[in-house]
Formats: sequence, C-alpha cells, structure tokens
Amino acid sequence: MIRPPRWQKVYSKLEVDFSSKKRERCCKLDINAPDANFWDDLETKIMECIRNTLDRRIQFYEEEIRKLSEQRFMPVWNFCNFFILKESLAFMFEIAHLHEDALREYDELELCYLETGKQREFGGVEQGDDQATLLEPARKPLTQIVHDDSFREFEFRQYLFACQAKSMLPFCMREVWVITACLALIDATASHYKDGLAAPDVEKEFYRVQGEIYTLCRTKFMRLGYLIGYGSDIERSPVNSASLSMLPWPKPAVWPSLPSNASSEVLAKEKMILQDSPRPKHFGIQRKPLPLEPSVLLREANRRRASLSAGNMSELFDGRPNANDSSGPLSPLPKVNSVSMSRTFSSPGNFEGSIDRPMRLAEIYVAAEHALRNTISDVKLCESLSSIEEFEQKYLDLSKGAANNYHRSWWKRHGVVLDGEIAAVYHKHENYDFAANLYEKVCALYAGEGWENLLAEVLPNLAECQKIQNDQAGYLSSCVRLLSLDKGLFLTKERQAFQSEVVRLAHSEMEHPVPLDVSSLITFSGNQGPLLELCDGDPGTLSVTLWSEFPDDITLESLSLTLTATNNTDEGVKAIKSTEAIVLRPGRNIITLPLPPQKPGSYVLGVLTGQIGQLRFRSHSFSKGGPADSDDFLSYEKPTRPILKVANPRSLVDLAAAVSSALLMNESQWVGIIVRPLNYSLKGAVLHIDAGPGLRIEERHHFEIEKHEVGTQNMTNLDNPPENLSPVSTGVKQLTLEDGKIKLPDWTSNITSVLWIPLRAVSDGLAKGTPAGFKCLRLLRRTIAVHFTDPFHVSIRVADKCNDGTLLLQFLKDAGTFRYEYKTDRLSIKVILQSQVKASLAIYDAWLDLQDGFAHAGKGDGRPASSFFPLIVSPKSKAGILFSIYLAEAPAKDEAKELQPVSILNIKYTICGSRNLGAHTPVAEELSGPDNDKAEHLTFRSELVLQRPVLDPCLAVGFLSLPSSGLRVGQLVTMTWRVERLKALEEKVASDNLDEVLYEVNINPENWMIAGRKRGYVSLSTKQGSRIEISILCLPLVAGYVRPPQLGLPNVDEANISCNPPGPHLVCVLPPPLSSSYCVPA
Amino acid sequence: MANTACFMIVSKNDIPIYEAEVGTVPKKEDAAHQHQFILHAALDIVQDMAWTTSAMFLKAIDRFNDLVVSVYIKVIHTRLMLLHDSRNDDGIKSFFQEVHELYIKTLLNPLYLPGSRITSSHFDTKVRALARKYM
Repeated sequence: MIRPPRWQKVYSKLEVDFSSKKRERCCKLDINAPDANFWDDLETKIMECIRNTLDRRIQFYEEEIRKLSEQRFMPVWNFCNFFILKESLAFMFEIAHLHEDALREYDELELCYLETGKQREFGGVEQGDDQATLLEPARKPLTQIVHDDSFREFEFRQYLFACQAKSMLPFCMREVWVITACLALIDATASHYKDGLAAPDVEKEFYRVQGEIYTLCRTKFMRLGYLIGYGSDIERSPVNSASLSMLPWPKPAVWPSLPSNASSEVLAKEKMILQDSPRPKHFGIQRKPLPLEPSVLLREANRRRASLSAGNMSELFDGRPNANDSSGPLSPLPKVNSVSMSRTFSSPGNFEGSIDRPMRLAEIYVAAEHALRNTISDVKLCESLSSIEEFEQKYLDLSKGAANNYHRSWWKRHGVVLDGEIAAVYHKHENYDFAANLYEKVCALYAGEGWENLLAEVLPNLAECQKIQNDQAGYLSSCVRLLSLDKGLFLTKERQAFQSEVVRLAHSEMEHPVPLDVSSLITFSGNQGPLLELCDGDPGTLSVTLWSEFPDDITLESLSLTLTATNNTDEGVKAIKSTEAIVLRPGRNIITLPLPPQKPGSYVLGVLTGQIGQLRFRSHSFSKGGPADSDDFLSYEKPTRPILKVANPRSLVDLAAAVSSALLMNESQWVGIIVRPLNYSLKGAVLHIDAGPGLRIEERHHFEIEKHEVGTQNMTNLDNPPENLSPVSTGVKQLTLEDGKIKLPDWTSNITSVLWIPLRAVSDGLAKGTPAGFKCLRLLRRTIAVHFTDPFHVSIRVADKCNDGTLLLQFLKDAGTFRYEYKTDRLSIKVILQSQVKASLAIYDAWLDLQDGFAHAGKGDGRPASSFFPLIVSPKSKAGILFSIYLAEAPAKDEAKELQPVSILNIKYTICGSRNLGAHTPVAEELSGPDNDKAEHLTFRSELVLQRPVLDPCLAVGFLSLPSSGLRVGQLVTMTWRVERLKALEEKVASDNLDEVLYEVNINPENWMIAGRKRGYVSLSTKQGSRIEISILCLPLVAGYVRPPQLGLPNVDEANISCNPPGPHLVCVLPPPLSSSYCVPA
Repeated sequence: MANTACFMIVSKNDIPIYEAEVGTVPKKEDAAHQHQFILHAALDIVQDMAWTTSAMFLKAIDRFNDLVVSVYIKVIHTRLMLLHDSRNDDGIKSFFQEVHELYIKTLLNPLYLPGSRITSSHFDTKVRALARKYM
C-alpha cells in the first residue's frame, strides 16, 4: 500500500514535468476507488492534446507556406515544394474533417498554380485518361509525379478537382447519378431502337446491354433503399446478396447526420424496424439470412462521422434500437460540444448535431433519407424512395425490365434468376399464382443444371406457394424434390418435415391423385451375389435391395416390381407384388417378394411401383452406386445384370428302380424306388403310386423310406446272411399311403432316398411295371419297370438209361416238356432248378404230382429218389433233383375223374436275400402268428408236361455217310438218304402194295445248290422192312461248317419218323482247290 | 495466394461436378451461395464467349465487384471455372492446365462415370495443392 504522501509526491513530480499553467495534462486514476468522471476527463485531455498538436502543426505549415508564397515570383522558387506543403496541409484538414479549410487550401493551391505555373503540356495521353474517373483523387500517384516535376496539366487538374469534389459531393451522389443515368440511357436507347431493324446477334446484344443497365440500376436502387431502411423489403436471395454485399458502401466524406427536427421520423423508422421480423420460411427452415451489406452499416456510418470517439464498437452495437432510450451507457459527454474542433468557421454543419453519441440504425436511416432528398433532383426517383410501396414498385419494375431484356438476349440464366426476384415480390404480396409460375422457371433452371445449392434456396418458396394454392400434385413433387436434394443442404429436422408433408398428403383425400415419381428417393437393385435361379414353373422368393433416401421410416402400403425378360420382348412385363405393408428404414432395406412361377428366361428389374397411403408412386432408378437421379450420364443404361433366371424345363427328380434283378412272383416283395432329386429340392413333394396291371400294393403295410447309399450294394456280399444287414441302421422311416399318395418327408428333400413299396405280382405272367407319378406342384410321370420272376427256372432231362441199355433220345421242346422214343418201363427224370434270383434259396421239400399216365416209382410219394433236404441254392446256380417214374396204363376214358393233363412240381423253400439286391423274404404278413413256422416256407409250383412216348415209328430216315474225301466248294457231291418202313402200313391197302411217299429236301440256297428234284414222290412198298434210297446231287457253294441238306417227309407225322442213323448237324466244306494251271513245275 | 477463390468444374450439361473453395479466407456459410450464383451466372457469358474464340483459357470474362471469373474450356465442353480476386493470370492458367490433366486422368478411370460428380479425395487433395502452388 502506497501511503498517500508518497504517491502524491510522485504525481506532483509528474505534474511538474508535464503540465503547464495553461494546459492540464495529467489526471490520476485510483484503481481502488475509480472516479466516475475519470474517463471523461482523460478523453477531454487527450482531445485537447491532439487539437493543440494540430494547431501547432498547422501554424508551422502556414508559416512555411507564407514564406514560400512571398517568394513565389522569385526565380529560385519551386512550385514543387509549395505544392507539397499546401497539399499536406489540405490533407491534414481533411483528416480532421475540416473540409472547408481543406477546400480553401486546395483553392489557394490552384490559384498559386495558375499564377506561377509554367506552361505545361495538357496531357491525357495515358491509357485510361479518356475515361478518367474525375472524382478519384488517387488515380495517379500525383505526389510522386510532382516530385519528379513531370506532371501534366490534365493530371494536376483532375487530382485537384477530385480533391475539391470529394469535400463537396453530396451523399450518395454516385449511386443517384448511376440510377438516373441508367434510366435515361435505357429510355434513350429503347426509343432509339424502337423501330429499328438489326441483325439477330446485334439485337441479342442490345437486349443484353439493356439488361445489364437495368441490373446496375437495380443494384444501386437497392443500395439506396437499404440506406433509408427498406432493407427488409429486399429479398435476401443469392443474387441480391452477391450484388450488395460485395458493393462497398458509399464513402462520403462525412456521413450525414440526423436533422434536428426528425425525431418523429426516427420513431417511425424504429417502429418499422421493430415490426420487421423475417418471414418464417416454409417447413420451418431456418437459415442465416444472406447478407445485404458489405459491412455493418451501423459501424460504417458511425465510423465516418466527424468527431466521434473512435473505437468502442460494443457501444455501437449496444446502441441498437432495442436499447431505445438515450439514458443508459450511451449517454456520455454532455459537454463534448465544447471540445469539438471548431477551429475555424469551417464546420459544414455536421458538427453541431447530436454527434455526442453513435447514431442508432433508425437515425442512420432518417439521416440518409434527408441527405438523399437533398441529393436527388429527379422527382420520380425521389418519389420512388418516398415510401416502401413506391420503393417496391420501382424495384419490381427494374427487376422486370432486367429480366425481360435478359430473356430476349442469350443470357437466359440472368433472366431466370431475376424472375426469381420478381417471384419473391409476388410471393410476399400473396400473389401465389404468379409467384409459383416464376419460381418454377427458376427451379427448372437450377434443377436442370444440377446447381443444388441454389435450388435449395428457391424450392421451399415454390413449395409454399403450391401449398397455399392447393396445388397438391405440384406440392408433392416439390416435397419429393426437396427430399432428393443433397442431404447436406437441409437439416434432418427439415427433411423430416418434407417427408411428413408427403405422408400427410398421401393419406389425405387428394382430388386428383397423380402417380408420384420417387426415382430419386427410392432406388432398388437386386441383391449382391448370385442371382436367383429357379426351375421352370416354380414359385420362389425374390429378394430385392431398396435404398430409401427418406429421413425417417416410411410405410409403403403396397409394393410391386416389374420383371422384364431379357431374351423375350414379346412377353411384356410381369409384376410381382408384395401384399403386406412394408416399412422402409432410411438407407438400405432388403425386402422379399413372393414370386409366382415364371416362364423360362432371365429377367431384369423394371419399374418399382407402390402406394404410400392412397398415393401411387413409381421409381425407375436402379442403385448404381452413383447419383442416379439425373439422366446426365453419357453411358446411362438399364442394368443388364439379371436378377432372376428361370431354367428351361428339365426333369427335377429321377425315379428308378432300386433293384434290377428279379423279385419273387406271387409273394409280397419290397419294390424299391430310388428318388433322386436332380439339383432340386423336393420339399413338399407327393408321390403318386399306381400299380400296374397284375400288381397289387399291399396297403396293409407301411411304406418305408430310407437314405440311399450308393455303397450298399457293393458292401453287401452275397454270402452274407441278410440278417447282418440291419436295414434300420440307415434311418428307415415308415410312411402311410393315403389315396395312392405318399408325402415325402422333408429330410429327403435334398438327398437321394429309396422308397420301399410292398407289392405283390399276382399274375402268373411277367409283371410289367409300376407307374409312379411324381407330384411336386408339377407332375412328373415315370413308369418303372420291375421284374418279377419265379424263384427257379425248371428244366428236365431224362437222366437214366433204359433197361435195355438203349440211350433215350430226348430233346426239350419247352420247359418241362419232353418226350422219348422208346417205350420203357422206368425212367429217371432229372429236374434242374436254376435259381432266378439274387438270393440264396433253401429247398426244404419237393415233390412231383404226376399227370395221368405216369406213376412214381419207389415209395410212390412223389418225393425225389434220395432225400437231402434242405438244399441250398446259391444265386444264379443250378441244382438238380432226380425223380424216378414209370409209365402207367392210361386210365379208362370213361372214368368220371377229370384227366390231369400236366404234372406239377412242388417245391417248398425259403429265401434269404436283401431287398437292396433283389428277391428277398416276402413282407411278413401281419396276421400270421410267429409260431407258425410253416408260413415261412414258400411254395413254388411249376408245371411239367410229360408226353407219353412214341411207341410205333413207321418210317426211319437214315443219312448215308458222305465220301471220305470231304466236301469242297464247287465239287458235286451226292447226298443219299435211306428211307425204311419199320412197320407195315395197315390203314391203306393199295392194289400194288406200293405207297407214294412225298419227300422234300430242305436246303439253305445260299449254301447249297441242288441238281435234281427237290421235291417229289417215291414209291415204297407197304411191307415192313422195305427200303428205298433217295439221292440228290448237291453243290456246296461256301466253305465252312454248314448245315447239310435235310430230307423231310411232309406227309408223314413227324412223330412217326425215326432218324436212324441221324444226319449230321453240320458238315465241313473245304474251300475250292487252288488253281495250278499256270504254275507248272519245271 | 488468392484470398477468395472458388473453383468449379462444370460438365457439358452445365452440371457442377466438382466444387472447391481454394482461397485462404475461410469459407463463409453465406459466401458459398454467392460464389455458386456468380459462377452460374457466368455460364451465360462463357456460352457467349465460347463461340467467339478458339482459346481455351478465357481470363476474366466476368467481373463481379472485386471478384473475377476465369474459365478454361475443354474440348468436350467441360468448363473449369474459377472465381478469384487475384490478378495472377499466368498462375491461374497453369493451375487450369494442371487441373485439366488431373481431370483427364479421372476420366480414364474406368469406374468413373463421365458426367457424374467427382468424389475422389485424391483429386480434391491435388486440386487444393495446385491452388496453393499457383495462386
């Protein structure tokens, strides 16, 4: 803490140093208890200092100038020095806003120049001098030129004039001059051009210039309007903002001050400012309004005032009309007046007013208005600025003038932009019809050229007009366009407002509902990855990606997409629909649509249509990753990537018999059907089974289904007992037949499975097959052949020798039919059983029920001669059973008992086999009890026909041996047969005891040629033992083993002919001998 | 370097496909509209001028108070437009030429659809670097 005496001492010392008697230059600031008047005191003192300094300085300058001007007629006098002094002094006055003093100095400088100046060149030779801005003092660095003494008359006078003018020009002279000059120019040129003909390009150019002049005029007019407070009426559009905010404020020497009697006007202006609130934009869009001022007017106006204490901007801004009284912090210095620099008589009236405090905005307006009234002499212009209505009218006229002229020139964009300004005026005056029309033009321009930032400024206005006009269609489309603009241009809240408008309209009753194009908002594409492949006639589910640009979820009441076939344009388009409402989230959505069966071909997506509420919409765009909302792209094409491919018709499933080998006839057998899906899911498939003729499905049994294993057959060794194969291990499922249909379980839908059907072939004949129909929404008909057979193939041969040792001749004509020639008492029949099935058969018993005329030898029970049952017959192997029989007397014809025409072989057997391989144990009868062992034994019956032996052959044909030299091609040979009558012919008693016997030689004409009679009669005595020989000359034609000619007796029953000795089956014919005619040995 | 410089590439259909404020003065929110507006209006003049000259570089074709519009017209009628306040004509010309090269490289990109917006950040970085270098 400084004790009072000490700081007092310091301060006294300072006062002694700096203060003089005349001038108090010190003042003290107590930080602890600041004096309220301290700052005023300080300011006063500083100003006084400056003024004193200026006074001193001016005194010095004036003294110098006086000296120089006294010497001005002396030869050494230099104008240059004088100019510098005089000009500096004038400049100092100017800085101090002492304009009259400055003007006086300039005048004196000019006078002195005229008196003393040597004759100089006039000048005006430099570039730009012809259009010199006379009012611009700083156009040339005159001070420098004067130093060099190289200035010309023109430059000096222009500078001087500019300086003088600057001090004298009225407020906004420049703007007013431009406006009036422009208007005059427009009128003059327009009237001049009125009936003129000009080349089109000249005409266009003329209109462009007119437009430019109008625009310039309009800009200046807006500036004036803004200065007098009509700024709120000027639309803050990009064009106005660009025009005004880059145009500097007028730079008057001194900003006009408020006239003394204008308080009522100030009040009115203040009221106007208060009432002016920016019109809220539609959709609640809030933007920082675009500026119309290059810098804040309040600051600019106050800065350019004469003696305002500079700085303290906070004071200026606090002085906004809100602080509308003059009390408060803004009422400083009531006594400043005395301090103002009224050095001489020079104050041009500005200094007397209320310069004590910064002007408020309203005051600036009023002051400007008053100043302009003084400036403007043009009555019309004055009138235009007199009221806000007049101002608007003039503003509209100028805008229209500019727009019209631009429209007639090449500069369409300028014209359309000004149309937007006209629209804004109409909009404000609620002339929505005109406004909407004009706005649409502007929007069309910006939208067409993709200038979205600019479009975003105008489009909400258009939307508002459309809404008020109840143009629902237009309003909707505007909302959609707003939504589709770049996301960054609007806040999410605003975009949500757009969307809610769309949704609201969509759900309201629209008078004229129009389809809405939302191509820019909802885009779609097929899913990434492989396309959907379907088989012909199959329904499916199509998955589509939708991109929603809506800011919120949006509910689509319905949705449909068209599919266009790429390969077939005749088909037109097919729409697939989603029946239920879909909620689209912003961004990517994947939706699935049920797809009805389509024709074969590949398909691309076409158009998306749907409904929001009652509003139909459509979208043509495909998400391509880029902006797809304009048709600007050079290579914009429909996506060619197909989304769906429907294959040509093909079989989807293969049905085949599981077993190719035969099954047991007359027993219930499992018939396997392999169901193999061919790259296709059999979900929900139904199998229809229709047993063929002679086949009966054992419906009492369940059907079985199991997985088909390819290896099963290979694994199964035939020797393995079938019990070892546990068929259930692979997961056998039982199924029930319903109305001839079987539903396949789902687990079989993609795997190959085997369906086992219990089936019995009931006919004796061979079973033809099982037609099985497959129905899986589509029908596949397939007939499956199944082979049924008896377990054995039975053949018989007479195996035993006759009692007399003669070998029986026998040949088998048919299964089970044989004959032998000589009567014999007893014979053995060997029954050969060949297994027909791929299963092991066990024979437990066999007996023969003989036909009439035969009887069993031995025990007579029909059993085989030796008993070795059970007899196991392996697959495809043979077994033989020997029966011993003898011929019995034929029973009397008159016996009542019917003759038994055939013999029957009975075999009791069992079968062990796998159904995977072929025949197997019959499907167990459910009814049969387990205790009934007999039931397991199957019975096989086979018919055998035994013919009674031929007892009385009457003729014997013997083939006489051929020459031992053998047969050769081309060599004649004589074939000889001997025909011998074995028994006297009793029936026919001819007179000469001769019987004509017809013979015939059968040959293959390719092999033999016959010389002689092929067919003819020979006479043979009817007596027993008579013989005759028949010879035929034959010529072998080919070499090799050939069948020799055969002698037949057509008139004699074959049974009565004995072949003894029998002819050979084949004879060997040698090739012809080599010709050696030319190979004579030496 | 220029205080204000707004560079724009306008496609042949008058659509702006690239836009960058490359001046030193930080971009003002309201200035974007003005610059866009001025450049858009200048399209009228470019359209006029393009038929009268064969030069590619049209310097200062439009003047808006202190700002000047220079344009570089390419063969395919894509326009490089610059709104600037500097007077460094040579620098601006070089800038245009280099950006032209860059643009052609972009066109060669098979994934770029001609006429669509240029979103490559690499392109953006390069353009800004060129602006620093030449203006």
